[in-house]
Amino acid sequence: MELVDKIFKGERAAIAKAITLVESSKDTDQQISRQLISELIKKPGKSIRVGFSGPPGVGKSTFIESFGSYLVSQNYKLGILAIDPSSQITGGSILGDKTRMVEISKNPNTFIRSTPSRGTLGGISMGTREASIILDAAGYDFIFIETVGVGQSEIVASNLVDIFTLIVGPGSGDELQGIKKGITEYADIFIVNKNDGELKMEASKTAADYKSALSYYKKLDELEKQVLLVSAIEQTGMEDVIKTINQIIDQNKLKGIFDERRADQLEYWIEEEVKNIIASDITNRLTSKGNISKYSEKVMKNEMSMYEAVETITKDTLKQ
Amino acid sequence: MTNKSNNGFNTWQKSFEKETKKNFSDAISETDEGINIKPVYTKEDLENFSFVKKQSLPGQWPYTRGPKASMYTNRPWTIRQYAGFSTAEESNEFYKKNLESGQKGLSVAFDLPTHRGYDSDDDLVMGDVGKAGVAIDTVEDMKILFNNIPLDQMSVSMTMNGAVLPVLASFIVAGEEQGVDRSLLSGTIQNDILKEFMVRNTYIYPPEPSMKIVADIIEFTSKEMPKFNSISISGYHMQEAGADNVLELAYTLADGMEYVRAAMSKGLDVDDFAPRLSFFFAIGTDFFMEIAKLRAARTLWAKIMKDFGAKNERSLILRTHCQTSGVSLTEKDPYNNIIRTSYEALSAILGGTQSLHTNSFDEAIALPTDESARIARNTQLILQNETGVTKTVDPLAGSYFVENLTEELSKKAWDIITEIEELGGMTKAVKAGIPKLKIEESATKKQAKVDSGSRVVVGVNKYKNPKEPSVDVRVIDNNRVRDDQIKKIQAIKESRDTTAVKKALANLTNAAKDETNLLVPCIEAIKLRATVGEVSKALEQVYGRHFAKSLSVSGVYGKHFEGDKEFMKVESKIKEFENVNGRRPRVLVVKMGQDGHDRGAKIVATSFADMGFDVDMGPLFQSPKDVAKDAIENDVHAIGVSTLAAGHKTLVPELMKGLKEIDPKSKIIVFVGGIIPEQDYEFLYENNVSAIFGPGSNIIESAEKVIDLISDNLSKE
Ligand code: B12
Ligand SMILES: Nc1nc2c(ncn2[C@@H]2O[C@H](COP(=O)(O)OP(=O)(O)OP(=O)(O)O)[C@@H](O)[C@H]2O)c(=O)[nH]1
Ligand SMILES: [Mg+2]
Repeated sequence: MELVDKIFKGERAAIAKAITLVESSKDTDQQISRQLISELIKKPGKSIRVGFSGPPGVGKSTFIESFGSYLVSQNYKLGILAIDPSSQITGGSILGDKTRMVEISKNPNTFIRSTPSRGTLGGISMGTREASIILDAAGYDFIFIETVGVGQSEIVASNLVDIFTLIVGPGSGDELQGIKKGITEYADIFIVNKNDGELKMEASKTAADYKSALSYYKKLDELEKQVLLVSAIEQTGMEDVIKTINQIIDQNKLKGIFDERRADQLEYWIEEEVKNIIASDITNRLTSKGNISKYSEKVMKNEMSMYEAVETITKDTLKQ
Repeated sequence: MTNKSNNGFNTWQKSFEKETKKNFSDAISETDEGINIKPVYTKEDLENFSFVKKQSLPGQWPYTRGPKASMYTNRPWTIRQYAGFSTAEESNEFYKKNLESGQKGLSVAFDLPTHRGYDSDDDLVMGDVGKAGVAIDTVEDMKILFNNIPLDQMSVSMTMNGAVLPVLASFIVAGEEQGVDRSLLSGTIQNDILKEFMVRNTYIYPPEPSMKIVADIIEFTSKEMPKFNSISISGYHMQEAGADNVLELAYTLADGMEYVRAAMSKGLDVDDFAPRLSFFFAIGTDFFMEIAKLRAARTLWAKIMKDFGAKNERSLILRTHCQTSGVSLTEKDPYNNIIRTSYEALSAILGGTQSLHTNSFDEAIALPTDESARIARNTQLILQNETGVTKTVDPLAGSYFVENLTEELSKKAWDIITEIEELGGMTKAVKAGIPKLKIEESATKKQAKVDSGSRVVVGVNKYKNPKEPSVDVRVIDNNRVRDDQIKKIQAIKESRDTTAVKKALANLTNAAKDETNLLVPCIEAIKLRATVGEVSKALEQVYGRHFAKSLSVSGVYGKHFEGDKEFMKVESKIKEFENVNGRRPRVLVVKMGQDGHDRGAKIVATSFADMGFDVDMGPLFQSPKDVAKDAIENDVHAIGVSTLAAGHKTLVPELMKGLKEIDPKSKIIVFVGGIIPEQDYEFLYENNVSAIFGPGSNIIESAEKVIDLISDNLSKE
């Protein structure tokens, strides 16, 4: 495939076109996209994928602008996938990330793509995983995935990355009680942003709250979870973040956790794909047979019970 | 209500309902501000006022009827036309001609590079030099600008906010080198940074240091320039950006309060500086509302200043400049604009403005020509000399309607002011982006009303002229202006004492680290021929440059079109597009260069999104190269360039080049919206622009065309 070579060469337009393909809802595009991804994963790159999640408005984009600037100044190549939550259910969306990433978006060593989340679970859109494979093949050192943190989304997002970061704001410590203890299982780093100006005190307090809560949930064999204080606006604390990321990656590699995670994620991915195919197959069969309306009429007329209908439809659908 | 008048009213109401075949209550209409306008007002509508005092006199508390007892009967308002373009030499010629023809005061429009603190030789401003105002790089330019205009006799207003320090310093030094002491200089510096963050977009530094600069200037002028207005607190730009009159009034006064506090925090007594605060409002087409707004503004300001503890009467009085509304003027059938402007001017006069700018009929096409500027000026000369409006002070006082409207506006504005104060004041609100968003919401609503036809704009959505007249336009050769400026800068840089300049700039940088009044070291640097750009950079080293984080309204436009056939047609075209192409049509809307007019871009973006497009919104001040990178990385189908400050002939070809540089086979199509004189259409089409959408374009129709163009382009593959 011509596209594949161009991606390996790092051609910007080719990368962009490939991401469009993997995000496309068209069947033919999906087929090409599968071939493409199969080719690309044969020669994996060296990228580290980092997830940034957190509630709306905590400063994820601003942080990425700030931290990203720091990384490119150290000559790293940086790919960013921003899942923008602003899409409406019926209408389109306004993707405003670029207004928050003014400086890094100019840099030739960055590639920034925003995608409307379109209301999918966890704000992770279709194709995010594939897009990160494309950027990896294209030679980016780091791939950042920005997702808004709502509900279960962190879990989905953490399944796509090597290291998962939760960004929180000053004062959010109070919400900690509400956070289920599972939090420690998927977040590797906690970043308390907006550690500046009037918010400084509050930010330190929040960081302390997180630290104590996290040590409470810590499992015996686990690493201490890191809580970092930064200000995206004043660009402070950035060295700590990269140091921590590198430390965790090194340790994880040493202990085999890094590969283990990637293997788990592959497993999860396969499972997901299989489920998707089965689900869409079943949906097709259901609609083509028109069983549901047929049997629901019978239920309405009291000719059979609801559960009898379910059982009959299921059997009929699964029968080849 | 007495029985007798009640009976009278009932009889009237019956007749009214008979004549109109409508219930009285159905005849009440709602304004943009949410004020109910009744078909008739009576004495009862003067009851229960909390702001307006029924029996006040002009020049007396609460100054509703005017800042002075005699008003125009003694001296008419100042005809002050805002102008500036190209080089200082050319603007100076233009000013002198205007003064000979009856204009009374000057008002300088600077070009966008100067506003944003860049010298003309900076790569970032390639397309903007001299285009939308006059280029000022050094004090030498400033001296040329006022050549043969004695600054001890001429009052000069300067619209400058971002680069306010070097520009005011240049003005002071130019005066001194003309032999005029700074204490004799009269005029106004706009110096209103808060509204820049909200709507005007020529800020340089972040809000906090910017507020410090504002306070420095108030402090300096209050001590050294007794005849000079230290600030022009401006609502004008808010209305032009789409604010209704209540928002304009409330935000302006709330800004004023913030500046008062900033100045007081420097240890000044309120009466030391308050008499030199001045205001600036827009006068739109809603005739009586605008009159009421000026009356309400004076009423509320008097109350506000009393609460600040002002003792001097002059501290309580709001004096204002006004400008007729540019956004009410149309590109289509442009001579209608003369009529609109006349009515707006009358509104401003009946509201009691102290000075006035009237727009030219070619407002929506380009900067005014000599001819169109003459007609604009004559509009005021005719009002002053032929109509008799100067003979009576506040002639509408006592009108049930106008007094009631004044009170209503005051109340509504006061509610918003109180809300903002509770939030901690305007600086906080502005930083959170709330006022900007509210104004954009209001602008989007107005656009929806025009696009749906529920608001008539003569010559645009009704009564169109089948034979559009073609009009002459002022053309500015920005490349020539830029070359001229660069030569002047080079000459100055060669002849000045470089070591001394460097030292002065370092001093300035140091001064920015503490509480020193920055105007003082600034004047030193400017005297030594430091450039506007160098001075701005010296401060930027400490303060940094501000980048706005833009928020967007959503759903406001679409809501207006629920069930609308045209709207639904576009929606279904988009759904069909998605089925065929696997994704929605994706458009990147951009602003390039220093053009800060973002109203159109924001409205188009939110409306397109409401119809179902995926819209990428670029930041302000992007370079064509950066736009190309964004567009390609996001694989958009089209780029929509919104351009109003006349940079298009430089910036659009650069964008095309940028796209080809990254992807020689790029199929991204480019269309352009905004102020494009007809004369430039061909040039743009030759540069592969796919479509042009000028002022007054119906957004739904534009959207349909865009999706058709995108589909055509894709089917060519
Ligand atoms: C409003 C306005 C302002 C506001 C801007 C507020 C804001 N945040 O946008 C304020 C008061 C702040 C302002 C300031 C200035 N302004 Co002004 N302003 C205007 C005015 C009156 C209306 C523009 C407008 O917003 N119209 C309403 C919107 C909805 O219309 P629109 O942008 O044209 O968009 C429509 C179409 O063009 C099209 N469209 C536009 N973009 C796009 C994009 C896409 C993708 C699509 C599909 C369609 C599309 O669809 C829209 C809907 O119909 C125009 C004159 C006029 N009547 O047009 C002058 C005008 C643009 N301004 C002008 C100038 C010079 C300035 C200043 C530079 C003056 C100075 N020297 O200080 C300043 C600086 C501003 C800056 N930072 O750049 C000049 C520009 C001269 C020129 N081009 O040759 C104009 C033409 C007035 C004049 N004749 O002198 N201005
Ligand atoms: N004081 C302070 N404010 C910040 C900081 N980082 C971001 N902000 C502000 O927080 C607001 C939101 O920032 P964004 O970067 O858009 O936040 P986000 O988390 O990406 O938001 P969504 O993508 O909308 O979920 C902006 O007004 C920023 O200026 C910081 O370090 N300090
Ligand atoms: Mg974000």
